Amino acid sequence: MYSKKLVDNLTTGQSKLLSKNRRDSFNIYSEINEPNFERIKILDYNMPKYSPYNKEYLKDKRGHEEIIIKKMTDSFKDEKEIIDFLDRFKENKVEKGNTGLGEKYTSMAESFYNTGLFIKSPAGVKVSIPVEIYYELDKENPFLIDNNLIVAEENSILTVVIDYRMKDKDLEAFHNGLTRVIVENNAVLNIIKVQRFNDKSDNFDSNFSLISNQGELNWIPIELGARNSLTNNENTLVSDGSQASISNVYFADGDRKMDIAFKINHQGRHSTSKIESKGVLKDRAKKVFRGDLYFQKGASNANGSEREEVLLLDKTVDSDSIPALFCEEDNVEGEHAVSAGQIDQQRLYYLMSRGMTEAEAKRMMIEAAFNPIFDKIPLSDLKGSVINEIKTRIRE
Amino acid sequence: MADKTQVNDIDRSLYDQKNENIYKYKSQKGLTKEVIKEISKEKNEPKWMTEFRLKSLEIYKEKEVPDWGADISELDIDNIITYIRPDAELQNDWNDVPEDIKNTFDSLGIPEAEKKSLAGVGAQYDSEVVYHNLKKELVEQGVIYMDMENAVKEYEDIVKEHFMKLITPNDHKFAALHGAVWSGGSFVYVPAGIDVDIPLQSYFRLNAPGAGQFEHTLIILEEGADAHFIEGCSAPKYSVNNLHAGAVELFVGKKAKLRYSTIENWSRNMYNLNTKRAKVEEDGVIEWVSGSFGSRVSMLYPMSILNGERARAEFTGITFAAEGQYLDTGAQVIHAAPHTTSTVNARSIAKDGGQAYYRGLLKAAKNAHHSKASVSCESLMLDNDSISDTLPIMKLQTDDIDIGHEAKVGRISEEAIFYLMSRGISEEEAKAMIVRGFVEPIANELPLEYAVELNNLINLELEGTIG
Repeated sequence: MYSKKLVDNLTTGQSKLLSKNRRDSFNIYSEINEPNFERIKILDYNMPKYSPYNKEYLKDKRGHEEIIIKKMTDSFKDEKEIIDFLDRFKENKVEKGNTGLGEKYTSMAESFYNTGLFIKSPAGVKVSIPVEIYYELDKENPFLIDNNLIVAEENSILTVVIDYRMKDKDLEAFHNGLTRVIVENNAVLNIIKVQRFNDKSDNFDSNFSLISNQGELNWIPIELGARNSLTNNENTLVSDGSQASISNVYFADGDRKMDIAFKINHQGRHSTSKIESKGVLKDRAKKVFRGDLYFQKGASNANGSEREEVLLLDKTVDSDSIPALFCEEDNVEGEHAVSAGQIDQQRLYYLMSRGMTEAEAKRMMIEAAFNPIFDKIPLSDLKGSVINEIKTRIRE
Repeated sequence: MADKTQVNDIDRSLYDQKNENIYKYKSQKGLTKEVIKEISKEKNEPKWMTEFRLKSLEIYKEKEVPDWGADISELDIDNIITYIRPDAELQNDWNDVPEDIKNTFDSLGIPEAEKKSLAGVGAQYDSEVVYHNLKKELVEQGVIYMDMENAVKEYEDIVKEHFMKLITPNDHKFAALHGAVWSGGSFVYVPAGIDVDIPLQSYFRLNAPGAGQFEHTLIILEEGADAHFIEGCSAPKYSVNNLHAGAVELFVGKKAKLRYSTIENWSRNMYNLNTKRAKVEEDGVIEWVSGSFGSRVSMLYPMSILNGERARAEFTGITFAAEGQYLDTGAQVIHAAPHTTSTVNARSIAKDGGQAYYRGLLKAAKNAHHSKASVSCESLMLDNDSISDTLPIMKLQTDDIDIGHEAKVGRISEEAIFYLMSRGISEEEAKAMIVRGFVEPIANELPLEYAVELNNLINLELEGTIG
């Protein structure tokens, strides 16, 4: 299915360098075996058939005139720039720690993508209105491979919202995504990713970023859906004073399986990072949380912290946490913490003593835990619908 | 640039003494069925043990070397002589112990420890225990403390029921190797209700080029018994790679309490691939106190299986990795019953290019409701040539539990140093104080003479070299 022929089809009409990029990735793809995800028990996974995605996913907005936005599937002239940006990732690979989904999935996305955007805020451009992308899966478009490149050049400010969603409850859809991000000197980039596929779809998503001098990248990944969801988010703080933060919410219920991996590589001096993850497990859900803080040699005065809090609502849940600290530099401060358990009983009884039912009290406490992160979603519609979805699912 | 803390190596000459070797029997290099049969025959073992060894050998040959953790490619197991019996029969009286062996023990302080009313000394020299003594009162109470070889014969039923039941040859390659070639070690049996109020101490060491050490420790505490076992080791330094693949199996009965303390100080060419496991029944307690200072490579993850309700495990450990060392250590706790609790407190120091790795596992099984666990790891980096990694894994399969984990890495806080200096303490002393303070929670858990040894070890490491 995923053959050279398909790559040839996909490159027809596409410009030269990006076509070459597809073919190079295919060579990598074809040489690697299918990985098994043992911890979450996804073995011998069969990727579904390729099909194109024909829906519009970019929401046009006023106020974005200064930002460059292009579809990766189109043919355009100044593609050299894109290749140059992508080459930076090849030069900065970090081997240690969790390996994410592995090259099989990233090279698959890079050779067979059917959607994707190149978004760049040029040097000095500061835009407060977020770029909105809606990858919506439906009967006609049940297959999504998005290959995105987001670049915030020097001194620019940019916010991007990507919503992976679907309405159909019975459709078996597939997503394998690849998002690469570059934050240059002194730029600020916020990326909000919401994933709420139905219980029959599979979600694979890989994210990589490189952050330079005083650059700042803030991720807000919200993981709510899919039958199997495997995501990876790896950030490299390349030079001095660079910053990365991840504020993550996950909600796994039913028979959902989630494997969520975060990683920060500290290379620059005075680089700082913060990972905050809040999750709820319900019913027979299984999740694996991986969080690596890696202080590479030379990252003096770096500071990294990581915190995972998970609420376990049922006896039948299965929760793995693998936080890791790797340290090659003495002059750093690194810490991680994990806490897992039930909802605080005393607070629950307090709320119930004020006349709430147990379900209401629980819902309120979960909302209270999530809200500081939801408040970072800049679109009130999206925020409202995410909160509503969680409300109904706690009740079920 | 901020100042760095320089810490030099300890003077190891005391531990690196080497005696002339006199062997009665030396097995051929390499591992074959014949070698195993020979070992078993030499020991006059019952048939089931010979068969057990042979079965383990088969498993050993099938199993792969683990592909994670330390690089042990330089370890040539076939070349390590698996069994060397010293030219010494079992002794009851210290005076009968051969002179050169005694000299080494003397410099390690064994007889002094004996005088300080330790219950018994099972000193293992090479593969066999050469010295054994247990206080009369304890013998009268029915406490058994003897070398493992004789226990197999004298207490065959108890041994057969427990031997390699917690750690089976199927667990990993080195457990299988141990099953095939084990030799020496201690056997402790404490009857119900007996409180052994003085620590049982076993000091063993290696003393032959290329000799592997495969001692087996089996401790059984019946209901309500209470004991403290101390394992300490030190080996002379040789140019040939040495392997230590011992096994420690601890059975803690209902309401029993066992403390197992180790100060491990192997020479820096040792591959320490030891396996330790405890199974704790209702209301029982296992306490591990573990100090890892020596060896070239250590992979050591004591496991506590909390099998009965309200069972409890505590782990306190310190790992000190210096030049050329890769110390991969950590605690494993399996909560397999309701209302069980565990506390893990692990600390590590890395310096001069040493690599300290904490690798832990915490598992709460489906029926472990109302269990509580806390894991705390702290790492101190003394320079930026060293590496310190922390990888704890938590696996939770039920909801009604309370799990907390924290880990930190960093160097000595400058503020703390300046504060101490402002109180009139020299910078050197201030840093030394902070490092001593860092290991204090572990030192506090050790019996006095071991705490002193630990402190001396730390002081020697720090002496005149900070600043």
